[in-house]
Amino acid sequence: MDVLLDEYEAMLKRTAREFFERECPPALVRRMETDEELGHSVEMWRQIAELGWLGFALPQAYGGEEAPLEQLGLLFEEIGRALAPLPFLSTMAPALTLAEAGTEAQCLDILPRVGRGDLLLTWAVMERDPRCTPDTIHTEAIRDGEEYVISGSKLFVDQFHSADRCLVACRTGRDISLLLLDTNSAGIASTLLPTLAGDKQSEVVFDRVRVPAANRIGEAGQGWPIVERMLERATALMCAQIVGATRKAVDMAVDYAKWRVAFGRPIGAFQSIQHMCADMVTWVDGASLLTYEALWKLSHGLPASVEVAAAKSFCNERCQAALRHANQIHGGVAQIKEFDLNLWYRRAAAWTMKLGRTFEHRAKIAQALELSSVSSSA
Amino acid sequence: MDFGFTAENDAFREEVRQFIADHITPEVQAELKQSRLKGPGPLTKELLLKLGEYGWIGMSWPKEYGGQERDLIDQYIFEEEFVRARIPLDLNNILEQAPAIMRAGTEEQKKYFLPRLVKGEVTFALGYSEPSGGTDLASLKTRAEADGDEYVINGQKMFTSGAHHSTHLYLMARTDPELPKHKGISIFLIPMDAPGITVRPLWTLAGGRTNEVFLENVRVPKDAMLGEKNEGWYVGASALNLGRAGARRYYTYISAFENIVHFIKEQRATGLDLAADPAIQDKLAELYSEAQVCRLFTLRSLSMVRRGMNPPYEISSEKVWGPDFHVKSTEIITQILGPYAQLWEGSEWTPREGEFAKQYVGAMVSTFAHGSVQVMRDAIARRGLGLPRG
Repeated sequence: MDVLLDEYEAMLKRTAREFFERECPPALVRRMETDEELGHSVEMWRQIAELGWLGFALPQAYGGEEAPLEQLGLLFEEIGRALAPLPFLSTMAPALTLAEAGTEAQCLDILPRVGRGDLLLTWAVMERDPRCTPDTIHTEAIRDGEEYVISGSKLFVDQFHSADRCLVACRTGRDISLLLLDTNSAGIASTLLPTLAGDKQSEVVFDRVRVPAANRIGEAGQGWPIVERMLERATALMCAQIVGATRKAVDMAVDYAKWRVAFGRPIGAFQSIQHMCADMVTWVDGASLLTYEALWKLSHGLPASVEVAAAKSFCNERCQAALRHANQIHGGVAQIKEFDLNLWYRRAAAWTMKLGRTFEHRAKIAQALELSSVSSSA
Repeated sequence: MDFGFTAENDAFREEVRQFIADHITPEVQAELKQSRLKGPGPLTKELLLKLGEYGWIGMSWPKEYGGQERDLIDQYIFEEEFVRARIPLDLNNILEQAPAIMRAGTEEQKKYFLPRLVKGEVTFALGYSEPSGGTDLASLKTRAEADGDEYVINGQKMFTSGAHHSTHLYLMARTDPELPKHKGISIFLIPMDAPGITVRPLWTLAGGRTNEVFLENVRVPKDAMLGEKNEGWYVGASALNLGRAGARRYYTYISAFENIVHFIKEQRATGLDLAADPAIQDKLAELYSEAQVCRLFTLRSLSMVRRGMNPPYEISSEKVWGPDFHVKSTEIITQILGPYAQLWEGSEWTPREGEFAKQYVGAMVSTFAHGSVQVMRDAIARRGLGLPRG
């Protein structure tokens, strides 16, 4: 029991921070917001592949380093801090799922290329209903000989326009199956959505898209538990990103309070501002500890759905509150586009809106505490 | 990072549970419940001896003072098991002054007080706060003036819990009014039966008792002073700091929440579903996540102290988040229980012997005792974040 970072973890985090501070200035983040093609930095993707970060958490058998999830989480925290425009979460979540549930042939085909930075992945689960439960999945995959034929539509698919493969949760009869499809397959139409964070999320429509049955991940009809684990991992990593970005906004606000003068003194000398700062750091510290515990439990194969739900619902609420304080301490400039704070504000806030709303996560906790008499629909 | 306990830790936890099963009889429990009002009784003293035999008193103290130099985690596990079993034995409170005596005491003081403290033969009441100030402790006015081989003490102390049953007063008094306020303070260890000491009760909303203590020409020998003259602030401040971490502290904040969850389940089995409304489930889940932060903040402080670090602001964060959570949780609990929450012990309709009503009116103490949450926020901002003084 020692909840602090060990020497290696601290070094890893420092290395990542230094890399992104050097390579990812706010100007790059801004440029990628209006980039009409990829919306991510190809050069930086290449660089982190060379640093070994893309294969960092992948199995050694497929060219990875098999680092534990909490260490990958530290990289995500620094990506969040830098707002690095990279398709890292969208690629890593399905890659880890493949590593866990894919056949050897599937892993051999995909994972080494992911690790080298040659293949981008993404995943598509959510449809119209923002709850991610099996009954909200209507996209259908019908078996036709050695193929599945997919029809339906998905929403808020990250980086779909640049991804090479997409892991899609489909209804096969009463149950859910997972299919990995080539994003260039015939019958796919995607439309970019105008988002708060200026990132690339799409609506994707499948019209009789044919996928080889060999591309099914896991057994037919057995896809939902795999999806749940993917979402849990992705949610915990998303929390790490939120914590990283919020921490940066807090640092900016505390720094601003030290030099911004009003009524003849730095505003940080006023107790009302000091107490806001004390609360911000307490909240983001709490979010960080909950996130680390969730990641640690996941990486040790322990049940962690309650920990993930606690981390995400806490991040949703308290990191938003910390961002609100950061804006308030900055005052008028917080609303100005040219001023950098809003880059962190918009992204961290947008991340709180994805991968489970506060209410769903809390409902899950209530169920685990046996407070609700309603049984899960899952 | 490591959020797990080792096999040795788990074995120790099991050992503590077994001890509780074997030695905490209903009679011991009943006596312990009275100990806040009456001080340690005969069964409690027996229990302390037993705990001493197991080496569980002063577990993390140096060996030369009767400690075991055990890992702080053992201390944490021990406390956690005791508080979770709702055993009101507050070793922290009984032993709170021991580290200061170890650090600053003369050999004679150590030999006299430490063995008696661990047996419950000596108990201290803390003479810090005064009518004119508690949070701004350093401005205290009680005077100790040298007169030959003695000091003569005059003044008044407030919120002196346990003064009516303690054997000694751990007193902070001003020995030099000319020096800046933090610099002219000394600590005295005074027997409560010294002539000139009067104790008057102050009854609290939660049914507890604290006291005001009047000191009128109380004469003590010079060797009643702990540590150097005028250095008392620093001796006292470090003792207070130790009281701010620990499993007991976090559990105090979250026990009302854990109990309402148990109570709801218990009631459901008898046909009353207090949490049927999803809005209530949502609130309880919110409290659950926030309670985990209480626990994790304590583990963070513990991890830092184990590494030999001196947490610059983290213990203060623990002391802001926990008390605020405590108050918030008791307010939500009253809204879940509705009219039942107002019932004191004594009716068949009273939930948990009136514990929820007591916690509701008692939780406020968390937010001002041992440093108010406002002073703690000041410390986070200034010591932790480097913001300037106003």
